[in-house]
Amino acid sequence: MAKEIGKDRLGDFYKEGSKVRKRREWRGVKDTLYDYSRWLKIMMTLGKFVVKPRNVKAMLRYRWMANYLAVPMMVDRHTQGLRGEYLRMCHVEQDLIIDDVAKLLDNLFRGDRRIGNDTEFSKKVVLVDENEMTAVMMGFPTLKCLSRETPSTYVSVLLNQHAAEHYLDVAAEFGLATDVCPMPAAEAGVSIDDDAPVLGACAIQCNTTCDGSLLGNGVISKRLELEDGVPVFQLAAPLRHREDDVQEYAAQEIRGAIAFVEKHTGVKWDWKAYFECAKRVNYATACRQEWLDMNRTDYPQVFGSNLALYTETNYMAICGRVEDFEKADRKLTKLANQAYEKRMRAAKEYRHRAIVWGVQSHFYMDFLVWLLNCWGIVPLTDMLSMVSTKRIAEEDTPENREQAIYDMAWLTENMIMRNRTHGGYKVLLDELWEFTEQFNADMVILWEHINCKALDGMHGMFEDRARELGIHLVWVDHDLFDPRIISRQGVRDQINLYMRTVMREEPIDPSLEVLPDDESW
Amino acid sequence: MKKTLKIFLKLLGVLLMLFTGTFLIYIFNLDMKLTAAVEPWLLKHYDRIDRDRHL
Repeated sequence: MAKEIGKDRLGDFYKEGSKVRKRREWRGVKDTLYDYSRWLKIMMTLGKFVVKPRNVKAMLRYRWMANYLAVPMMVDRHTQGLRGEYLRMCHVEQDLIIDDVAKLLDNLFRGDRRIGNDTEFSKKVVLVDENEMTAVMMGFPTLKCLSRETPSTYVSVLLNQHAAEHYLDVAAEFGLATDVCPMPAAEAGVSIDDDAPVLGACAIQCNTTCDGSLLGNGVISKRLELEDGVPVFQLAAPLRHREDDVQEYAAQEIRGAIAFVEKHTGVKWDWKAYFECAKRVNYATACRQEWLDMNRTDYPQVFGSNLALYTETNYMAICGRVEDFEKADRKLTKLANQAYEKRMRAAKEYRHRAIVWGVQSHFYMDFLVWLLNCWGIVPLTDMLSMVSTKRIAEEDTPENREQAIYDMAWLTENMIMRNRTHGGYKVLLDELWEFTEQFNADMVILWEHINCKALDGMHGMFEDRARELGIHLVWVDHDLFDPRIISRQGVRDQINLYMRTVMREEPIDPSLEVLPDDESW
Repeated sequence: MKKTLKIFLKLLGVLLMLFTGTFLIYIFNLDMKLTAAVEPWLLKHYDRIDRDRHL
């Protein structure tokens, strides 16, 4: 019950065998009342969503909707131990993301043939993958670009660590390999289990992540095209995205996708809307660069899950199409500057400066907050936040209209994660060491997603280079969506072991070292 | 004047009760404890729904 950062024993809030915590944090009068006011806002967002009968109907139809019971708890996990500007930054992001996902769900159920069945609305819907840059929709302001996989699997696992287990079992039951990445496997499981909303004039699938994702898309598109009558375009972005000779092919894919959407929706591409979005993309990039510059100093401000989750959403899913995110960028930059001027720190003690690399465990996104609170390891940035910083053309001229096709192709190729996991040795390995130098990091936390074939082959090369440079390299194994393989405590144990045996350190908050959260959401 | 004051005090009383009630729910995490109790019921309900499950 403390106002000061780091006074509480945060592990004491957990209860053995419980899904939820004993109580919420007391953060001093001002911060507690602020957090309470944001909780009320979330409750109002949820209330507005539930008041529509079609959304209640959807809640009773789709299994993954049960995970949305845990929305306030997701926010509590990410705000653990935070005070002042850090708490506010977290809420600016999380509340906006919640609002955006609520709108996405509302739109999905409005057009869904099983629920709202608004056929006119459905004709304006273009379905996209969860892991897909939405750049190609920047010039279609009157169409609704909706992802079914985002709420059914991606957000669900953020809300409830066990959310994907049922769908993984369904995929396995129908003979799909069980040693593939659980993300496309769970997405395919949702489709097999007949648990995806059915709507849309057409869909665009993308090869943006990996071959596992491609195979999962095959299962989904079969049902979409052959049974639901929704035509699907396969946007195949080149994997060697740093090479000049693939860019013309990538641009051609974009031209094809735009023509496909125009054909199936009857809506023409709008250049004015595109360039408005492009300006917002550039603004988001400039803000992110400013935050990363701060993180290179002794007073990092927007880091950890505050940086990771927001960048994923803003860069990939929003891609300049939603004005509210520009406002959030502005607010976040203002808060970060305030905190920087005051030389503020988010935790009691900063012991290590870390770059977090690899594909993070999705069922444990608040691990970054745990690193900070338990061991004083500051996650300065992460692989998924180190995306394109290239400015795209934003003035509407004939030359820029041609350039814009290449810009959209570039963004699509440089989707989060795939811009590092594909594209060659340099983007995954060499640039990591450049970042450790730029950020003055003494530690790399290297997620090893045990079912990610793209990264596992580089294990030895990471170790060799870390040894040469004298960087502490801590491997953290996980299975992305499936905590039954490696639990949250299993993830924590790998850090605990390294910190105790190699670093010979004691935790800052010992109550966090072992947590009874196996049953928790 | 007295009537306005009465209405004002009543309104203040209602707001205070609302604040106390919601703040207690917030601080003791009662909202999450309630939804955690609802979840098993919902999961059983989903198991009973007929589905066209296939590849």
